Amino acid sequence: MFQEVEKIYYFIKRDIISFSTYKTNMALMVLSALFGALSYAYLGSNADMQKVLQLYNISFTAYLLIGMAFSTYIGQALTLVQKTINPWHLEEVLVSPTGLGTFIIGSSAWGFIWSTIVVAIYLAVGSLAFGVVLSINVVGTILVLGLGIGTLIGFSMIGAGILILIKQGDPITWLIGMLTSVFGNVLFPPQVMPYPLQIISYFVPQYYFFTAIRLMMIGWSIQMILPEILALTVMCAIILPSGYFIYSWCLKTARKNGTLSWF
Amino acid sequence: MSEIAVETHCLTKIFESKIKSLEPRNSIFKRKEPLIVTAVDHLNLKIKKGELFGLLGPNGAGKTTLVKILCTLLPPDEGEAYVNGFDVVRQQMDVRRSLGTLFSVGERGVFWRLNGYRNLEFFSAIYNVPRRKRHERIMEVLDLVGLKDKAFENYQKYSGGMKRKLALARALLPDPPILLLDEPTVGLDVISSRSLREFIRKNLSEEAGKTVLYTTHYIEEASQICNRIGILNKGKLVACDTPDAIKGIVKKGEVVEIRATSITDAQVGAIRTMEGMIDITSEVEDSVLGQKRLRLHLKNIDSLSMVLDFFLKEKIRLIDLRHEEPTLEDAFIELTGRGLEE
Repeated sequence: MFQEVEKIYYFIKRDIISFSTYKTNMALMVLSALFGALSYAYLGSNADMQKVLQLYNISFTAYLLIGMAFSTYIGQALTLVQKTINPWHLEEVLVSPTGLGTFIIGSSAWGFIWSTIVVAIYLAVGSLAFGVVLSINVVGTILVLGLGIGTLIGFSMIGAGILILIKQGDPITWLIGMLTSVFGNVLFPPQVMPYPLQIISYFVPQYYFFTAIRLMMIGWSIQMILPEILALTVMCAIILPSGYFIYSWCLKTARKNGTLSWF
Repeated sequence: MSEIAVETHCLTKIFESKIKSLEPRNSIFKRKEPLIVTAVDHLNLKIKKGELFGLLGPNGAGKTTLVKILCTLLPPDEGEAYVNGFDVVRQQMDVRRSLGTLFSVGERGVFWRLNGYRNLEFFSAIYNVPRRKRHERIMEVLDLVGLKDKAFENYQKYSGGMKRKLALARALLPDPPILLLDEPTVGLDVISSRSLREFIRKNLSEEAGKTVLYTTHYIEEASQICNRIGILNKGKLVACDTPDAIKGIVKKGEVVEIRATSITDAQVGAIRTMEGMIDITSEVEDSVLGQKRLRLHLKNIDSLSMVLDFFLKEKIRLIDLRHEEPTLEDAFIELTGRGLEE
């Protein structure tokens, strides 16, 4: 077990060293996060969004900031497994005595650490520059993040599995990305849309994720968001194992066909 | 304890794919036809512990497929394979712990933004090298491959030869008893290639006693360093013996090397069809002077008179004629019916 944890540490170390060599890119990413936070917060502070305030009992600035900040996590989880299927690295790891699970977690750990930094930047800018008041329920936030990330990793594994077989174009990631932006409760609440479109939101896991995470950020208790937690748990319990099964099957098929490195 | 390091029984790998039919069809959809390729065909092979075994074959002979099966990357369709006594299907982790693998494109899987040392540090964790011994082991393998001085230089700045050596160092990191080296000298210049070959023969095989499976399509490379050679053709092992014994296969014929000018490809083709001719290879020696070197493999020396008559008749200028000992390439052509570059 310690050996596996240590491997993950070396994955992170490798990625930090690699990432730090792209100094301009690193600076631009930090600037993008700052700029994004400032622009959206400005938009929120000037927009007339009484409707949103009534629905969530928070300002539109806080609504947008939290949405933007955590969409980084969701984006990271959604593309997580695809990033690990670089055929060269995959083959090198598959011939070593390292399990696939360690490889996937290790390869993506740095991405999540970076996403956490980005979230912290967004929230800090929101608090310091725009006076957004946050009262974070830490346990609830970790729980909602875990369920949301788990669900999205499930989708990511389905997308990656398809990509391993068809080699280019991943419809799952594209579809989930599109559903997130429209029905995911990221930039605007689905309640402002016509009712038939609102119904679609109830089948999109991100809707429950963003609703729950916002309420955790403003200090609600877990008991108060039990319906969202329950919906996310059910979706995670179905999508995560299904994703693992589909990914493993696609990987096995590609290995059998000898097409693993055909990219 | 078994003396066999690598063993296969009736090992078979079949690839199936669909290719577009060339025939026109009155449809917007092109018809696809199944294409079945037997990359490894009922292969029986035994490599002894400590042996430097060369696997020779042209492109597409099945060398890389065999390496991929042995390192558990590809599952076989039929038959069995054992590495260090472990089954490649049922005991994958044990097989992986017994092996160091160098793929034909060694640069892949290496992290370009990290230096040589950091790359090896990452892979030493992946290959379960004990943490306390890690630094020592990394410096040891870097020293072994002659990269100790370049350990902290960025990988991007490495030359082709250095990149290949780092890939080899990575394969050596866990100190495995068996090494699978898939075309290790591909893309290297003559000097780097020779130095790497010598390193494999002297340091890895003779001194460290490693079992090495060395695949190549360079005949001279295999004959220079390998204890035994297997010739793979269309997935089948057509010969397996010492280099000298394999050369002996063509002893029943005669090999004559001729240098001539003003000889066309059509004339070479005409010689090829002559009676008593087993095979002929030709290469341009001087394109300005139109000088070619022909290597004739004849059933007996009497057949040469027909060739010389043809030269007189066609007014081809003969510069040199030599009766040669058969080489491994002659043996290869006799066994497979084709040259290595075909």
